[in-house]
Amino acid sequence: MNVIQATLTGALIGGLYALMAAGLSVTWGVLRVINLAHFGLILIGAYLTFQVADSWHLDPILTLVITVPAMFVAGAAIQWLFDRLRLTEFNSLLVSFGLLIITIQVTSNIWSADFRRMSADVNPYATQSVAIGRLVFPVTTLVAFGLAALVVLASHLVLRRTFAGRAMRAIAQDRAVAGAFGVDHRRLSVLLGGIVGATAALAGMVFALSNALTPDTAYEWFGTVFAVVILGGIGEVVGTFAAGILVGVISGVVSAVWSPAAAPFVLFSAIILALLLRPQGLFAAGGVR
Amino acid sequence: MIRRGGIGLLAAFLILAALGAFSDQLGLSSFYLILLGSICFWIAQATSWNILSGYSGYFSFGQAAYVGVGAYTTAVLSGRHGVDYFLTVPLAGLLCGLLALGVGAVAFRLGSLRGEIFALLTLAVPFILAAFARINRSIDGGQGTTVPIPDVPDAFGGLPQFQYLLALLVAAVAVAAAYAVQHSRMGSALAAIRDAEDVAEVMGVATFRYKMLAMLLSGVIGGVAGSVFALQIGFVTVESVFGLTIPLFVIVMGVLGGRTHWLGPVIGAVLIVTLQDRLSSYGLDAWNSIILGGVLALLVAVAPDGLYARLRARPLVALGALVVVSGGLAVLNVWGDILDWLVVGMLVASLLAIVLGSRLVGARLPFGRRPAADVAAAEVAPDQAASAEAVLAEAVHAEAVHAEAVPAGPGTGADSGPAPAGDADDAEEAAAADGAGEADRLGPVLIECRQVARYFGGVHALEDVTLDIREGELVGLVGPNGSGKTTLINLLSGAFRPTRGVIRLDGQDITRMAPHRIAHVGMARTYQIPRPFDSMTVRDNVAMAIMFGREPLALHRARPIAERHLATVALDHLADAHPADLNLHQRQLLEMARAVASNPKVLLLDEALAGLNPAEVDNAVRVVRRIHESGITIVIVEHLLRVLNQLATRLVVLDRGTCLADGEPQVVLNDPAVIRAYLGRQAHV
Repeated sequence: MNVIQATLTGALIGGLYALMAAGLSVTWGVLRVINLAHFGLILIGAYLTFQVADSWHLDPILTLVITVPAMFVAGAAIQWLFDRLRLTEFNSLLVSFGLLIITIQVTSNIWSADFRRMSADVNPYATQSVAIGRLVFPVTTLVAFGLAALVVLASHLVLRRTFAGRAMRAIAQDRAVAGAFGVDHRRLSVLLGGIVGATAALAGMVFALSNALTPDTAYEWFGTVFAVVILGGIGEVVGTFAAGILVGVISGVVSAVWSPAAAPFVLFSAIILALLLRPQGLFAAGGVR
Repeated sequence: MIRRGGIGLLAAFLILAALGAFSDQLGLSSFYLILLGSICFWIAQATSWNILSGYSGYFSFGQAAYVGVGAYTTAVLSGRHGVDYFLTVPLAGLLCGLLALGVGAVAFRLGSLRGEIFALLTLAVPFILAAFARINRSIDGGQGTTVPIPDVPDAFGGLPQFQYLLALLVAAVAVAAAYAVQHSRMGSALAAIRDAEDVAEVMGVATFRYKMLAMLLSGVIGGVAGSVFALQIGFVTVESVFGLTIPLFVIVMGVLGGRTHWLGPVIGAVLIVTLQDRLSSYGLDAWNSIILGGVLALLVAVAPDGLYARLRARPLVALGALVVVSGGLAVLNVWGDILDWLVVGMLVASLLAIVLGSRLVGARLPFGRRPAADVAAAEVAPDQAASAEAVLAEAVHAEAVHAEAVPAGPGTGADSGPAPAGDADDAEEAAAADGAGEADRLGPVLIECRQVARYFGGVHALEDVTLDIREGELVGLVGPNGSGKTTLINLLSGAFRPTRGVIRLDGQDITRMAPHRIAHVGMARTYQIPRPFDSMTVRDNVAMAIMFGREPLALHRARPIAERHLATVALDHLADAHPADLNLHQRQLLEMARAVASNPKVLLLDEALAGLNPAEVDNAVRVVRRIHESGITIVIVEHLLRVLNQLATRLVVLDRGTCLADGEPQVVLNDPAVIRAYLGRQAHV
């Protein structure tokens, strides 16, 4: 019973990982930018949720009205900067690493390095849960999973069905040729950067719902989220979702059966093994690369 | 040059060691000793990182693994088990060396490992190790461990002196190692890996071995320095040694100072550590990371080649700025003390070097590692090139006249020109007889392909190709696009392995051999799109092939030979230029010179004439012919049938992965099946 509960909870938490990883995966696969600053946006999204909800006594989910546009602008601005600098894929990793460090330090200067958490009266979701038989699901994990599924489904449809999506896939395959056929990659990539920023706001909100915040958490996401991106296949949104669930299940089960401290050990060992066997990702079907 | 650097390094070490040894007499407070010790620690770590990541281009985000394992080895062994401190230092190095080899063996075995994946893999390693330290109670279970103070021999004075001297020694050894690597074969090999790894491998560089060596060296240095770090901080916790700030620092130092030179990380470490110290002393700790992150982001965008190249381009300006600013502040005696003056002076000098240097170095040159003299040489080059072209044109003209005067008879091997137009039957008969006669004169079989197949997923790029190529032949490989020509070249050179079948070169089975060993058996190739080592001069590009060829030579002995090979393709006047300054034709000639320099038995030319104008094609054909006459068997992929008709002794036609025709050019080109497949229904030869 314990293991089943851990598996299901892990899978639901995996939704949060997928939500965090989806944006990173898309910018890497489509725009050829490894945007570590994405973690910074998630962090700021989380802190903004906390701040707005706490000081204006707003429902945390309603704070999205503010955080989503803000993060859209931030994400678009970062992408615009990358475009202007004409960075190679690898240099984008270094530049965005610099940006991430600045973001974390600024967050720490504003909100301090201590743990901050929304007070219980503005955040009703933290304590609620849904029980099905003897299985219990915290509402926060359901929200995470639901939002992740929504984002993945929407972006999958956009990429497959719409003109902008086709144009983006064309950019992913060959930017120069796409440009020759009239695809304005500058405008599209800034738009995509904005959308990815908006997903960072969602992920930040979900994280703030169930966790206490400290600036250094951004570093803690690093390993897990990159694991999800690589396992899912770079640029593969649906693969990212599946990988997020898998990683969540592994972490959950190892934590329950062995010890929470052992989870990263098992997880990263599994990732290295997976990379050895399938370097293109577990769930990649050839994909954009 | 080599000696000067070595002497400078030794002198710096002795002066700095004297500072520590006589610190009491000199009135040097322990504050300065601790600061210097910290600089030494970061120099060692940044250098350890640079030996792998800077030299080979594989960026590691896992430097914390070495610091952590090194520090924990010392802390646990000496703190919990009472092992002598001095014994734990080499043990730390050993453990980190083993760790590095393990990570390298896993990472570098990955097929088509990309730099970003390596970076993320190395990022994961400290996470695993940190988690391991937290769950394992016999390490410390996450509690932290105190490092006992060892018995300091009296000769060292007090503990601060001892710590400083130890850190200095480790830093000096690390820098000396980086210096030695850069000036050795390994340095050349790592630079080639950074520029174009698969080209280096196919040329004969044992890339896996050199990457592993770099990993090992990096790990040992990182571990030993980590062990010294444990003593410096006194109390080791998972957070302090496995944290992400360590890779961040070393990467910033490497990028700031410059990654391709041994002095780069030293410059970076000195600047960053002193700057950090000054910021803390003014209570600006909160700005530390912001400034570091900003420096990293800005530098990658503005000056990715780092400070060292800029400083070397304008050494006097930088030195002058340092002396004027620091000296001026000292004389005026404003704004803090000597450290503040130095830091301000260094910052101004660096800024000046970056701003002035970008006009000189950065604007035009992608790698920016060139001293000014080379740039001047490259700028002179076009005139020389023009005159050389005139000479060449004359030579071509003379040869053309010569060729007209003495028509090349059929079957003179290398020079079998087009058979005189006339009775086709006669020509065919002559060719057939000629072919039989030629087989006798040709040497033994060099390349044997037996039912070679290669699939890419469901795509059958090659299917059951059986082919013999004999010594002395000049085989033209033709076929429509996608017929498998380049795939065959890639299989022969070892870049891909066949799905099925056997390939032999000179009697040796090379089917599953590593490309660099195939190169040593006697295979060389060029690329359709030339792929020179961009950071090296034209001369060194060719010298690389000699250094890592069948009879390896040292760089200084390979260079004169390289010049001879450049002369045979008429590129010797550009020996000091960088590949970026060459036009396409010159780059393709460089490819050929480089391939020939490895002294191959077989040379594979992949569309070596593509994209050239007619005059350039003629020149390239002359070069190919000359190479062939020197006794090298050639396989050439080419679309220009006019050229192949003159050049090749034999044509092999591939169509949809199978061998469609094989024989004397005239015969093959008149084969109806070939005409249908390759030229289309209506075409005429």
